[in-house]
Amino acid sequence: MAKFCINDNVDVLIEVLKRLDDRSLGVAACVCKTWCSLTRNDSFWEHMCFRQLSPPPEGVRAVVVALGGYRRLYICCVKPVREVREFNRVWTRHEMELSLSLFCVDYYERVLLGGGGGSGGGRLGSDSAASASLMLLCKAVNV
Amino acid sequence: MKRERDLGKAETAAAGKMKIWGEGQPQADAGTDELFAVLGYKVKSSDMADVANKLEQLEMAMVTTMEDGISHLSTDTIHYNPSDLSGWVESLLSELNSTGNFDVLPQRIGVPGESSSNLIGFSNDMPIQQNRKVIYDYDLRAIPGGAICSNGNDEENPSQEPDSGTKRLRSSPGSEFLDNASLAAARPVVLVDSQETGVRLVHTLMACAEAVQRDDMKLADALVKHVGVLAVSQVGAMRKVATYFAEALARRIYKIYPQDSLESSYSDVLQMHFYESCPYLKFAHFTANQAILEAFAGANRVHVIDFSLKQGMQWPALMQALALRPGGPPEFRLTGIGPPQPDNTDTLQQVGWKLAQLAETIGVEFKFRGFVANSLADLDASMLDIKPNNVEAVAVNSVFELHRLLARPGGIDKVLNSINAMNPKIVTIVEEEATHNGNVFLDRFNESLHFYSTMFDSLESSGLTQPNSEDLVMTEVYLGRQICNVVACEGPDRIERHETLCQWRGRMNSAGFDPVHLGSNAFKQASMLLALFAGGDGYRVEEKDGSLMLGWHTRPLIATSAWQLKSPE
Repeated sequence: MAKFCINDNVDVLIEVLKRLDDRSLGVAACVCKTWCSLTRNDSFWEHMCFRQLSPPPEGVRAVVVALGGYRRLYICCVKPVREVREFNRVWTRHEMELSLSLFCVDYYERVLLGGGGGSGGGRLGSDSAASASLMLLCKAVNV
Repeated sequence: MKRERDLGKAETAAAGKMKIWGEGQPQADAGTDELFAVLGYKVKSSDMADVANKLEQLEMAMVTTMEDGISHLSTDTIHYNPSDLSGWVESLLSELNSTGNFDVLPQRIGVPGESSSNLIGFSNDMPIQQNRKVIYDYDLRAIPGGAICSNGNDEENPSQEPDSGTKRLRSSPGSEFLDNASLAAARPVVLVDSQETGVRLVHTLMACAEAVQRDDMKLADALVKHVGVLAVSQVGAMRKVATYFAEALARRIYKIYPQDSLESSYSDVLQMHFYESCPYLKFAHFTANQAILEAFAGANRVHVIDFSLKQGMQWPALMQALALRPGGPPEFRLTGIGPPQPDNTDTLQQVGWKLAQLAETIGVEFKFRGFVANSLADLDASMLDIKPNNVEAVAVNSVFELHRLLARPGGIDKVLNSINAMNPKIVTIVEEEATHNGNVFLDRFNESLHFYSTMFDSLESSGLTQPNSEDLVMTEVYLGRQICNVVACEGPDRIERHETLCQWRGRMNSAGFDPVHLGSNAFKQASMLLALFAGGDGYRVEEKDGSLMLGWHTRPLIATSAWQLKSPE
């Protein structure tokens, strides 16, 4: 009988990883290259964002991808909003809308205003650096 | 022990004493003297030399004066700031010079409830004797705090040995002596400990404003300097507010009016910092956007007229919401209005371009047009290329702009008529919730003092930004400029003419508009938004007759309201 290897069953693996909390996810990402690349896959983050929301409205994916991707959305907006609400509370449409709006503002400030309109100066580099107006939200560590 | 060390050096000059004091510097708080700090007084080490000098002069004066004294000091003295030894001593000196009399100050520490006595001091067991070196023994029991030791101010009698167990203080704690009887009109308050200097500060500010109101510029001048001195002893929001108000009052007194508003690009930068450091603008944008979104439901072409485009921070969120609305986004047209730039750069076009890029990214058809205007009253509807109602839905948006029109007669009516002519589906107005447009200066002053104190408080307590980070500092400058305008300017220069929601309701009503209720969606979104801000528990969203107000604790600070044209009967 062939041994069951989780890495051969990526769909199952994804299902498991989807249900992890953030810290465990960070740990999971360190396990091996497969797991790491999985957790960096944006569709994985789409699941994380919409975890409890029934099918997301149409067109969201295109917009989110254009504005920076689900991983960024999760880190910059969804997670902080969720933290304010209880973690396992149902994620409502309102919270999603707010997150998306904040995400759009973040894109505008970060990419288009280039931080020049504000005090974006101190925040360099990494792709997880949030625009100035979202810094208040970002207490999260990069997952 | 420090005390012995200080006593031992009693004969050294004041400058020498500086070193002792300097050695004991606490690490905290801008180098206040540690010994004084223990007693509850904050005296900056940089001021020590000055204080010591003055005390020395005072001592000279005291030992050479008659016994019978300046007993009136004990009743007229109003203690505003116990840490202002320098000012107190100076006032005593001037008093001595004028009366030539002196008396020991038999004082008790004021306790709450003693309304007549305006003193703070220490009980004095020993009478002063003429031409004798004076010893003051003070009962320091009531001073909060730990070790009580001589503060080393003991200059008058180098050869005297202290009694064992008595604590010698050269001077009584600073009592601010204000040599104008009209100050009795200021509410007498009793200082128990230095935390109450904040109250003193506020009262002095109000007294100064009263003096300005009565056109008593001499008194006002003295008071405003006094405020400056008092403010230094405060920390945090109180200090900043007091400093800005004192500066504004000084400008009004000396008639050094601030030059007409700085470059608009600078004020844009300031507003960006304001945007980032506190939730007021974000609240304004999100609630207005929600109203506009709901009004645009079902429209295929929409036109938003923004009365002050600035950096266009409001519109990305609206565009995103339009992009994701069921049925797809409408064609979105934005008209942005802004002031002329001194260097002729076309900021409006630049912002429009950036918004266009965003629109392209998220898949919304977008058109932009910018209008440069010195004042909104210069525009009228025909310039804006308004399409008929069945073709395009129009929204007019004004965030903190309408109150400026109240500076010139007829301005607001003209603009409201123009809005009417634009035939909007919805008009969203966000304004500060305050009465800073009364006719009486004093009322305006008091109102704005409360308003901006609350604002600064919210900045301070929100914990959002590190203290003195660039955002916070620039936000304070932004608010400080408003303060200056409200207090120091008059006539058409005074543009920060804030009015309350009730007042705006009245105007809108008479201009032909009916209120639109901001729905529960707006309320929920606003509450959620605020919860995200650290210190969000201090902010309150209130709904009032369909409008939303954001405030700090119990004080509403800004109000968002939505309007539509009255349906023809």
